[in-house]
Amino acid sequence: MTRRRWLAVAALSGLLLAAGMQQRYDSTVDYFGERSAFVSLPPGKTLRILSFGYRNLVADMLFIWSIQFYSTYNIRNRFDFIERVYDTITDITPEYKEPYIIGSLIMAHEAQDVPMALRLLDKGSRLNPGEWIFDHDAGFYCYKYLKDYTKAEEYYNRAAANPGAPVFIKRMKAHLVYLRDDPEVATRMWLDIYRSAEDTLTRDSAFNHLYQIKAETDLPLLRERIVEYQRRYRRLPAALSDLARAGLVREVPRDFSGNEYIYDPAVGTVTAQRIFRWKKR
Amino acid sequence: MKPAIRGIAVNTFRESARNKMFYLLVFFGILFALSSKLVSFLTLGDAMKVLKDTGLAAINFFCVLIAIFTGINLVYKEIEKKTVFNILSKPLSRDEFIAGKFLGLALTMLTALGAMAVIFFAFVAVSGGGFDLGILLYFFMLYLELLVIVAISLLFSSFTTPILSFIFTVSLYLIGQVMWTFNEFKDYLAIPLWRVFTQGLYYLLPNLHKFNIKNEVVMGTAIDPWSVLFSVLYALAYVLALLALTVLIFRRREFQ
Repeated sequence: MTRRRWLAVAALSGLLLAAGMQQRYDSTVDYFGERSAFVSLPPGKTLRILSFGYRNLVADMLFIWSIQFYSTYNIRNRFDFIERVYDTITDITPEYKEPYIIGSLIMAHEAQDVPMALRLLDKGSRLNPGEWIFDHDAGFYCYKYLKDYTKAEEYYNRAAANPGAPVFIKRMKAHLVYLRDDPEVATRMWLDIYRSAEDTLTRDSAFNHLYQIKAETDLPLLRERIVEYQRRYRRLPAALSDLARAGLVREVPRDFSGNEYIYDPAVGTVTAQRIFRWKKR
Repeated sequence: MKPAIRGIAVNTFRESARNKMFYLLVFFGILFALSSKLVSFLTLGDAMKVLKDTGLAAINFFCVLIAIFTGINLVYKEIEKKTVFNILSKPLSRDEFIAGKFLGLALTMLTALGAMAVIFFAFVAVSGGGFDLGILLYFFMLYLELLVIVAISLLFSSFTTPILSFIFTVSLYLIGQVMWTFNEFKDYLAIPLWRVFTQGLYYLLPNLHKFNIKNEVVMGTAIDPWSVLFSVLYALAYVLALLALTVLIFRRREFQ
């Protein structure tokens, strides 16, 4: 056999042997089984120094790694160091918005630690003055997960105070006021949005909210007066106008569109023409 | 420009451009800059930011490598191959020789950076990033940084071996990138003499951090025009000082 053939045989044998060893190695590792992982990261400031002028790249790589890491569901303790990871990334590049947004989303939604998510968003808001998105997200987490409408309103107030804040922040704020059972203030806020609306979506949204709030205030009052009427006259009123004639209401309230509420004289029920179930608490 | 200096500069440029290593590094710089698209697929949110970050970092890294590898060999090779005798026997002073070498290297760097920049600009535009003037400013600042690195490598190349030149230049490059920490560090020093020493080093060593405006460009934050102007003047003054030092050393060198 020539030398060249010997070398070819040696190369092929080496590759086969390596493939065999890889197969043996794979049999000892459970790649997709449940496992634990520990993250060791230097502090953000140290990494900023050690990045030697490539801090954006380091932050990007860490962020991309974190997305992959926190999407690996078979790592059971993956959330142990999540705050440290996102603190480090945001220490390296405090202006990078995505780590705050995605990090807090993972913290609130996956790790179910809303206070931790709020801490990260607070940091984002502190280090990026004039940016509304962090306060908006924090407000949403308070609203969605903590059901703390007062705190959510505070965040939305802060978000709305930023010059570039979109109109829907104002709408969200008014909705939160409504959710914390302050219909009077909520009506004022929605009226303000309704009157100053520059697009149909905002106007329609404000209209629907105003309709809902007015119906929620009027209907219980009307139901109460119908019961009172029945107690007094031993029969149901034939129409809602009977309540006014009997002096139980000064005038019969109408819905926000100006239409009468729907009254069924046979059973004495009163309802609004439109019901927004999606706005229920 | 004196014809002698121009001659050396053109020859230096030709010599560098004929070097396979130069093409290899330019090729890898472009390849890595373009592969930033692949990295950007992995992120969530602003993919264009990651594309620009990775692409600019690749161009920065490979340009620095070209500057160092080309710079450290230039003078040493002339001495080692004894071609320096031929050159210096002509009506040409040692000062002109160094000036020509530097200008040739500066032209080489301009070509390398220009090639990478044009391709990257087109790539960003095709990827939906439009024409970003900030990136142009970044390339200008990077070129200033490269001129300083070239001057450093030329200085070391004039009196030591390529391996030592490489170590010294890389060390100064890395120190230059973290010079901003010196100002903070000196506040931790209790002994006033150490503080003065640290302050001295801060002004003596190259402060390359100021040329790095990648973050500002990619994040779209405001760049102070005065800081750009001072950086340009700093680069010119520092290069001038390094070239003067190189000439001083080179004048004293005796060739055997």
